[in-house]
Amino acid sequence: MGQGLAEAIAQSGYELYLVDRTPERAQHGHLQIGLALDREIERWGLTKGEKKAILARILPTDELNVVRDAEIIFEAVPEELKAKREVLSRIDFLCKTDAVIVTNTATLSITELSSSMTHPGRLIGMHFLNPVARVPLVEIIKGMKTDRATFNKAVSTAEMLGKKWITVNESPGYVTTRVVVPMINEAINVLMEGVASAEDIDDAMKLGFGFNTGPLTLADMTGLDVILAWMNNLHNERFSPIYAPSPLLRKMVRAGHLGAKTGKGFFDYDRDGNKVKKDETYIEQQMAEWGQV
Amino acid sequence: MKILVINCGSSSVKYQFIDTATELSLARGMVSRIGMAGSVLEHKPHDRPVVKLGMDILDHIVAVEAVVSILMSANHGVIKDKSEIEAVGHRVAHGGAHFTDAAMITPAVMTELRDLIELAPLHNPHNIRGVNACNKTLPGLPQVAVFDTSFHHTIPPHAYLYGLPYVMYKRYGIRRYGFHGTSHKYVCERASAILGKPVDQMKVITCHLGNGASMTAIDRGVSVDTSMGFTPLEGLLMGTRSGDMDPAIILHIMAREELSLHEANTLLNKHSGLMGISGVSSDMREIIEAANSGNHMAQLALDVYCYRIRKYIGSYAAVMNGLDALVFTAGVGENSVEVRRLSCNNLEFLGIELDENKNQSAKARETVISSAKSKVNVLCIPTNEELVIARDTERIIQSMTGSPSLAEARV
Repeated sequence: MGQGLAEAIAQSGYELYLVDRTPERAQHGHLQIGLALDREIERWGLTKGEKKAILARILPTDELNVVRDAEIIFEAVPEELKAKREVLSRIDFLCKTDAVIVTNTATLSITELSSSMTHPGRLIGMHFLNPVARVPLVEIIKGMKTDRATFNKAVSTAEMLGKKWITVNESPGYVTTRVVVPMINEAINVLMEGVASAEDIDDAMKLGFGFNTGPLTLADMTGLDVILAWMNNLHNERFSPIYAPSPLLRKMVRAGHLGAKTGKGFFDYDRDGNKVKKDETYIEQQMAEWGQV
Repeated sequence: MKILVINCGSSSVKYQFIDTATELSLARGMVSRIGMAGSVLEHKPHDRPVVKLGMDILDHIVAVEAVVSILMSANHGVIKDKSEIEAVGHRVAHGGAHFTDAAMITPAVMTELRDLIELAPLHNPHNIRGVNACNKTLPGLPQVAVFDTSFHHTIPPHAYLYGLPYVMYKRYGIRRYGFHGTSHKYVCERASAILGKPVDQMKVITCHLGNGASMTAIDRGVSVDTSMGFTPLEGLLMGTRSGDMDPAIILHIMAREELSLHEANTLLNKHSGLMGISGVSSDMREIIEAANSGNHMAQLALDVYCYRIRKYIGSYAAVMNGLDALVFTAGVGENSVEVRRLSCNNLEFLGIELDENKNQSAKARETVISSAKSKVNVLCIPTNEELVIARDTERIIQSMTGSPSLAEARV
């Protein structure tokens, strides 16, 4: 998510630091952004000259101190409350008093995340969706203590990135995650029960309801571990059985089949993350296999 | 009248400071990389060498401030006080159907310019930013907008309408607007002066061949057709733009490659043209170099480029029922001997014959390059859009002098 955000911000013409735990990880992130831009060039969306300019605006580093100079700081630590809170309080300590801190979270509470900060009023949630550079939506989430100036800054940031923004009052899962997760989970249950093949489930939802991506492909692209973490968070917060993760989802995560990033999820992927075509017999075999959970 | 001519891009401000009494450009230059690291102000006074200054330039307001202060600086300046700048002329890309001439910028005009962003989302917002910046830096000074489109307002409906449901024209203003108007107008008037023939007795085709390229049929001084259309994508092959093509192709490619609107737009505007065909470069000098050293794809790109110019020459000669002068201008038109030769090739039946020696020697200076027996005069004329903008600015201001609306003409 951090890479996607960095790519989108640099594409809008702004300079930024990309901070990670080690110099190697930061450098690796920079490299990955280069590869993402190459894919965009292959799709005619970008030129080589533009790629060079975009990469030059992203400065990779492992020094969190750089937040001292920043106007706005995007925190994109993995979706885990403790880790996020720790990083946020360090940022809160280091950055300028008028800086705005944005946390990118799909399910966590902004109010809770800000509870260990000295200036909780400057924390706001902006939920970007992957791939950030291409999805034209961002949810802006106000925590209980978020102040007006912070909200206004978030709105102008969304506009500078060319995103349509919606305001969300803090509530677990906001709009997008809360609505889409039960659908993905139900698609996994349908697959698990052997009702239809993964391909057919995705085709049904795409063609039948005009979705760009089917729910199982979406799960693979998002990462099955991420989906499971969202469900666990939502289940803990809302106590509703509709957020109980499908046994097949748990099983796949335990097996390390996390989707496009590991090459295997509900579909198979090559090293560039492109779906590999399967033949019909393979699909039948998989259905039989998944049916026995 | 001393006029500051401003041309604002997304991250640049080009300027010229022109004295219309002598038509001398007192200084010119450009601020580049606005809002990025390493912003540069490049400034050239007419009588001294170029200076390059690196400075922090966050936005267009700071850029215009930097331009005004270097114009007044002791070492590089050409004026002593701000008040010597008498007016500002802005190049504005799109004037829509409404602006048939340059216009004094008033609050009402600003509103209309904002409405036009829908037609020119890539250019008009920066032009508006330039106006606002001058308003801050040079408050109270008259500012005039000179449009790229307004010279083409004389194009008749049968030439500006597309074969689409008429409701598209009514609803979204979809029609041919044309661009590079100030350049086409300027070189046509220069051709008339050089040939000593009144412009209202001439049929002229002008070829503005720069990074973007367009051709215009000018019948007795007025534009009757032009190759760019609703956007600057139509017409000639360009550095990275496709120019004319079957519109169904893009629908077909979008479906086959599952391209988004943005990707399809970039494909047509940035990956096509000379660059797209040759894979070598979007720069005509490099294309010709590669073609001469045996690169077939570069040769092919050059052939497509010049073939299309010839096709438009024939078509515009038909539109005007005759042709007296053919003019080449802008980067490629002023400098490329090969492009001029290939574009005029096999047009003897129209009365176009080049003098190879004259063509060879014509480099960025006003020259007649046709042979003595050629019925059509072919000319190479360097364009000067800034001078036209300065002249138009002065004309608009003088036409309003004494009128109460000049006093109101503040943004």
